[in-house]
Amino acid sequence: MANTKVAIIAANGTLFDAYKVFNIATAAAASDAEVGIFFTFEGLNLIHKEAHKQLPLPKGKEHFAEGFSKANVPSIEKLVGIAQELGVKLIACQMTMDVMNLAKDAFVDGIEVGGAATFIDYAKDANISLSF
Amino acid sequence: MPIVKAKKAMMNLEPGQVMEVQAIDKGSIADLKAWAENTGHQYIGTVEGGDLLKHYLRKASDPELKEEIKHEYTIELNKLHSKLNEPPISILDVCEPIEFAFGHIPGAVNIPLGELDERLDEIDQNKELYIICRTVNRSDLAAQKLTEKGYKNVINVLPGMSTWDSPIEKN
Repeated sequence: MANTKVAIIAANGTLFDAYKVFNIATAAAASDAEVGIFFTFEGLNLIHKEAHKQLPLPKGKEHFAEGFSKANVPSIEKLVGIAQELGVKLIACQMTMDVMNLAKDAFVDGIEVGGAATFIDYAKDANISLSF
Repeated sequence: MPIVKAKKAMMNLEPGQVMEVQAIDKGSIADLKAWAENTGHQYIGTVEGGDLLKHYLRKASDPELKEEIKHEYTIELNKLHSKLNEPPISILDVCEPIEFAFGHIPGAVNIPLGELDERLDEIDQNKELYIICRTVNRSDLAAQKLTEKGYKNVINVLPGMSTWDSPIEKN
């Protein structure tokens, strides 16, 4: 899949959303695809230095907490690191950051900041586009 | 995360080396097959034992992609079929032991290419020797090597086990 490009929008901020995004992203990157994720609105929590360490479960799904600890899945913090190691490009949405008054240093190291046009430019020739 | 771990481990292997991936989730069979296909590596097979799945993968090697054959004497796989019933011949499979375990021509002898030099005495020089691997490259290298050592009647089987559609023996 060396010539495959994957473009992902992460727009939600629960633990479920985070696993969906990073599971797909790391699997694609490990298969030699080029992967970029655009984090917008609540999705920004997935790469926020503090917030991504304690993402909430969706309302009414709190009982899955036990399942997560039993299933031996890596933490989101760890998955972000794995994604970056595999070369996944992480783009934080500039507009959301402005609205929420967040600076770049509130996020994990190595991210890029860009607007919707940046993502569209990246995604224009993507083979796979996903939104979570 | 078997895919991510397999990817990382694969980076530390030499081309042609075999890796065992242990996983407990059943979905990993389809995942690793698809991953191998998409990254050019060879999925050899999976052994299931209780809750544990052991997947075997072989790292892609560049010479294998080129498939350039140098040894002069070759035989098409379908012609080897008829030879099977007229001994004395011997079939030497130069795949890795785990590939051999997942399927080989009944009666074939396994000496991996990398062990050929130290195991020459296991090869019967008085029979026609048909050399096979998964595709053609390792068998071609083995055929060249044996010819250099003075072996006669060395024949490379084309194209290899990857297209063998007759009964196989396992283990």
